[in-house]
Amino acid sequence: MLKMTHIRKVFHTDLVETHALRDISLDVAEGEFITITGPSGCGKTTFLNIAGLLETWTDGQYLLDGEDVAKLGDYQRAKLRNQKIGFIFQSFNLMPDLNLFDNVDVPLRYRGMKAAERRDRIDRALDSVGLLSRKKHLPSQLSGGQQQRVAIARALVGEPRFLLADEPTGNLDSNTAEGVMELLQTINAAGTTIIMVTHDPSLASRSARNIHFLDGRIADPDHLNTAAQLHIAS
Amino acid sequence: MFIYYIRLALLSYRRNPVLSSLMVLAVAIGIGAYMVIFTLNYFMGGDPIPHKSKQLFHVQLDYGDPAFADFDPPPQLTYIDATALLDLTSAYPRTASSKFVGVVEPQNREIRPFSVNGRGNFSDFFTMFDIPFQYGSGWDRSADENRQQVIVLSSELNNQLFGGANSVGETVHLHGFNFTVVGVMDSWSPVPKFYDVNNGPFDPIEEAYIPWHLIISLRMDRSGNTNCWAAPEGDGFQAFLNAECAWIQFWVELRDNAAHEDYLTLINNYAAEQKSFGRLQQPVDKRLFDVNEWLIEQEVVPDETRILSALAAMLLAVCLLNTVGLLLSKFLGKAPEIGVRQALGAHKGSLFIQHVIEAGVIGAVGGVLGLGVAALGLEGIKVLLGDLMVSDWMHLNVTVVVITIALAIVCTVIAGLYPIWRACTINPAIHLKMQ
Amino acid sequence: MEFGPILRALSRNKLGVILIALQIAFTMTVIVNAVFIINQRGELMQRPSGLDEASLFHLRSIGFGQNFNEETSVADDLSRLRQTPGIVDATVINALPVSDSGSSSGFTLDPGNLESVVPSAIYYADHRSLNTMGLELIAGVDFEVSDVLVRESSSNTNADSVIITQALAEQLFPDGWQSAVGQSIYTPSQQAIRIIGIVRRLQAPWPQWSDIENSAIFPEIVIDGSSLYLIRTEPGEQDRLMPAVEEMLAASNPQRILRQMRTMAETREESYRIDSVMTRILTVVIATLVFITAMGIVGLAVFSINRRRKQIGTRRALGATRGAILRYFLLENVMISSMGVVFGAVLTIGFNMFLVQTFNMPRIDWYYTPAGMLALILVGLLAVIGPSRAAARITPALATRSV
Repeated sequence: MLKMTHIRKVFHTDLVETHALRDISLDVAEGEFITITGPSGCGKTTFLNIAGLLETWTDGQYLLDGEDVAKLGDYQRAKLRNQKIGFIFQSFNLMPDLNLFDNVDVPLRYRGMKAAERRDRIDRALDSVGLLSRKKHLPSQLSGGQQQRVAIARALVGEPRFLLADEPTGNLDSNTAEGVMELLQTINAAGTTIIMVTHDPSLASRSARNIHFLDGRIADPDHLNTAAQLHIAS
Repeated sequence: MFIYYIRLALLSYRRNPVLSSLMVLAVAIGIGAYMVIFTLNYFMGGDPIPHKSKQLFHVQLDYGDPAFADFDPPPQLTYIDATALLDLTSAYPRTASSKFVGVVEPQNREIRPFSVNGRGNFSDFFTMFDIPFQYGSGWDRSADENRQQVIVLSSELNNQLFGGANSVGETVHLHGFNFTVVGVMDSWSPVPKFYDVNNGPFDPIEEAYIPWHLIISLRMDRSGNTNCWAAPEGDGFQAFLNAECAWIQFWVELRDNAAHEDYLTLINNYAAEQKSFGRLQQPVDKRLFDVNEWLIEQEVVPDETRILSALAAMLLAVCLLNTVGLLLSKFLGKAPEIGVRQALGAHKGSLFIQHVIEAGVIGAVGGVLGLGVAALGLEGIKVLLGDLMVSDWMHLNVTVVVITIALAIVCTVIAGLYPIWRACTINPAIHLKMQ
Repeated sequence: MEFGPILRALSRNKLGVILIALQIAFTMTVIVNAVFIINQRGELMQRPSGLDEASLFHLRSIGFGQNFNEETSVADDLSRLRQTPGIVDATVINALPVSDSGSSSGFTLDPGNLESVVPSAIYYADHRSLNTMGLELIAGVDFEVSDVLVRESSSNTNADSVIITQALAEQLFPDGWQSAVGQSIYTPSQQAIRIIGIVRRLQAPWPQWSDIENSAIFPEIVIDGSSLYLIRTEPGEQDRLMPAVEEMLAASNPQRILRQMRTMAETREESYRIDSVMTRILTVVIATLVFITAMGIVGLAVFSINRRRKQIGTRRALGATRGAILRYFLLENVMISSMGVVFGAVLTIGFNMFLVQTFNMPRIDWYYTPAGMLALILVGLLAVIGPSRAAARITPALATRSV
């Protein structure tokens, strides 16, 4: 499904070069649920951005469904995001001026779908997160957990095969977070590949595969403890 | 605290220089353009002789012929009526006046003969209109009666003929006759030229003034408007004088209500009497107009100025709407800062004052810049008009300057009221948490 | 396209929308009416006077002193002028078209019936006036020397022949102006005058007069203290001849003043100066307003886009192409502008009705309003294109940033 080989990402500013990702190689199979953990600034978000085609990288190879996405232009990347990838953000990123229906509608609009089919899909997506009855409400009228469920509905409505979640529970209390996690597991069980960045070790432990990032690299599982101690020491 | 708020306003300006400059520019252009037109109206539609405008009256009679359907009564009098009104009473200061052109042949042979615009008028003309004198004075009533060849010069003509020296007693050779100088006027330029609005209300004043009877007895070359509604009977000058041809302005000074009523009765009776003789068949609504009534009646302010007033008001509206929009953006953009200030103990009143002052500072800067825009605009109009009319009066005076800046501040603060209200009622919690 | 969602999002920010829409409405009102006034004044200025203006200049001679004889002076001056090489012809005339000062009266077929008098400008000029002015005689004959009457200004008896314009002939003889030649018409003092010729066009002196095409020329020289000479030159000779003529006339008789030497072009410029001043002021007003409104739209667009950066990033992350973001903001702008111009159309027509009633201005032609609506939408689009392109360049990675 996703195959990265020796991916590097360097940010240039006037004064310094920052190595956000030093050398990432990763193979993700269809239907996996992967969690990514690591301290702040270790490159988790950069990795997620690259995986989700939100950002370009400096060198290395990235194959999505066997296709070399390095060669794609901005337009094709947008189309690919729209059709294959769903996003869930830490701060939900709902459009405050749009009601729930219109919020979930956003990705479908960019797919150029007919109105009847869109309506059908949006209703199903909102129903699947239990918020169909509130589709005319504005995001500001919902609680944080409800907002994140809307965001999940928005990510799922296009039926992506690949879901990227950036600390989806980071802004939620533990009870609500638990609900969101269960929802993601249900989605994964239905066949959608998920990569989730999280701070919470208990959530990470519930996934079949956990990858720990450290200073722009995937930490060697053997050295995990040493690295963690080093991190604490610094 | 006021200084603190001013400093905050300036800081805020610096933080959003483009947006703030845009607002200042909008206020400057809107206010500037409005002030240009305001200045034009202020003078063109202003009172040229404020201390006496309620006491000076222009006489209108029932002119025209019922056969001409849409005939506006000419704003002047015929020779017959003017002389009749002069004889009617001499209890009140009054003057007939008419324009002429004449050639002056200077005694100094080095100056070539030149032609001047002149006016025939009565001695009361100078006192009624409070004309300032540099040397000498006007002539007295006996000079009117005796048709004395006396002359009053404008200061420009005196400069030209006598190098600005006291020329009282000197002789001026005009239209082939000798006139004795009795007075030299100081600079005087009423705007509008209310005493003769039908011969160019923004024209310069005449250069030479002589007793009115001399226009007829010396056969001066009359200039200015002549309006006839019946053909003269017979040929020759006398036939013209007797004809229904209006070419004389007539003003009377009536200091109080009693005088006004008395005089009105006199001319009403005169009009009734003439009507019984078969003249004055076309009744008018009003026979005595004070200065301001007369300027309005004669539509002295050009249509152009009035159209531009309406357009300038809309331009100002656009600029202010612009400012409201930008202020709203700016103040809402400051929501996090306002949240922090509220959390730190600022109450709504102090936030309100802070933002009123911020809007006021933008208005004040815009107003000062607007003065520049207005000055530039007036200068531009002056250049475009050229010698078409006297335009010395087209400048910003203290009143206009004060009004401009005050208007700019008031408009901007009013424009800012809604944005300010929105800014002050922001719920601090939302913005603190979102960060 | 996304009409529904944009409209619902806009309805969450009514005041911002109303502010821009109102601004557009007022701007449109001013612009459409100003453009109409400019075009109208332009049309007024472009009406032909009937004269060959490019090759005409004029000057006035004012005699003084006891020995000055105006009649012989005029005859002498005209013969000198006509003999000057480079001068096509010259005439003495009481007033000039376009000059804004002159004399008017009227004519009727029914002597004594003042109600039937057709108003007309009156020119008094000698028998060479048609050739000098370059008028086109379309019926009848030109004046002869023997037609010319020399009279004092106080005399009220006119010459007994007249040449009139086609427009005046049409009003006097509604059944056919061609039949006017040879007919008698009457002055208000009931003198019978015979029409001997008709010219295609000769404007009255007052540009604002409603009967501007009604003019009549009497073959008369009026002795009234000053003589206005109109002089027609060969092409290109004007600049050389003007000072030469002044010098020649001054030398021929020192008992006079020569003034107001001007070309017809200068006279026309001065008479229409108020119109051209008005046109220029209005042009500045239009330019200023478009600038202010466009700047206002740019400012608000930049601001609203900055406020929505994260939203835009999110949309990009959800699959919006750059084109889709650009379209979103352009469409949003068109929707706001459309509300503005619809209200603007109402205001425009209302303001025009006010001008019609207060200043007797004509109504605006129907196409001005839709053209103005289109123009304002275009201005809005042009203003918002820069900020929208900047919005389209926002990186989708912004979606995952925490601030």
